[in-house]
Amino acid sequence: MYVWIWRRLPGPTAVRWLQALGLFLAVVAVLFFVVFPWLEPYLPFDRVSTD
Amino acid sequence: MSEALTPVAAPPRAPGRRGRDRLRTVVRGVGQLLITVGVVVLLFVVYEVYVTDLFGSQKQAAATEAIDQVWAGAEATTTDTVVVTDPNQLVTDPRQRTPKYETLSGEGFAKLYIPAFGADYRFTVVEGTNSDDLYIGPGHYSGTQMPGQQGNFAVAGHRVSKGSPFNDLGLLSSCDAVVLETQDDWFVYRVLPMQEEEASWDGTQHAHCAGVGVQTGQYAGVYGREITVPTDYAQVLPVPQVDSTTVPPDAQRLITLTTCHPQFSDRERMIIHGVLTQSYAKAPGFLPPELGEG
Repeated sequence: MYVWIWRRLPGPTAVRWLQALGLFLAVVAVLFFVVFPWLEPYLPFDRVSTD
Repeated sequence: MSEALTPVAAPPRAPGRRGRDRLRTVVRGVGQLLITVGVVVLLFVVYEVYVTDLFGSQKQAAATEAIDQVWAGAEATTTDTVVVTDPNQLVTDPRQRTPKYETLSGEGFAKLYIPAFGADYRFTVVEGTNSDDLYIGPGHYSGTQMPGQQGNFAVAGHRVSKGSPFNDLGLLSSCDAVVLETQDDWFVYRVLPMQEEEASWDGTQHAHCAGVGVQTGQYAGVYGREITVPTDYAQVLPVPQVDSTTVPPDAQRLITLTTCHPQFSDRERMIIHGVLTQSYAKAPGFLPPELGEG
């Protein structure tokens, strides 16, 4: 998978590294702002009230 | 790896090697998948422990700013500008103090101070205990009483993540002060005796313990700290562990703090019970002496 992505990035190695970093940060942003907030209520360590 | 990166013209392969190449691709794919999953899990830990703290403190700051504005507006309407420095002149009878403020879900109405956690320990308490409310700060159980009232003022808060307001509840000792500031009043609660202190309580001298004692009667078995099951809603009822929402005429003025237990889990709940021991009217420039107990 990562090999496949690496082959499709244009430019010399240094530019490819920058692009890879950008892709990684984009994925982290999606995780932090979309996926994790959605996932959180389903996980068993966040409920603090009695009911 | 480098073999895969450099597009070298592959030598013609014998038919037998094709199955092995496919196996290699599958194994490499599985390996990369596992590494990816591991990184995502680590990122989730970072998110939970650090990033939600950042988001939470922003929300907390906004709620604090909002309540400061409300209080400043309420203060401007009073004509009393006398500066009082003697705490004894400001001591009030909680029976004479009825809340004049309104509470809206998700908005702050009081500030919580626990001097034992440091002079900078201060959280704006919001109304409600759903996940949006608790992201902002400690949340008041709707349906329980307000600060200073007879019955039980119950508050839930996160132990880990979202600002972690109640991370250190396990470090509270009996008689530690839990101070609430509302629009017009200061209410000083103190943590009740722990279960293991019950037997020797009356025979020992305690600092700051005036008004705090082992609970008897309908309150028997209510301790400063309890670990209980998540379904134990009776802990936040007017008389903890008595299954009724009516406040009896002789009810005490309690505070209850709840958070998850053990740390990083929510298998159980940690409950802190305290009792009102002092209350003051707010005055310009006045801070309750209990805040300096540290």
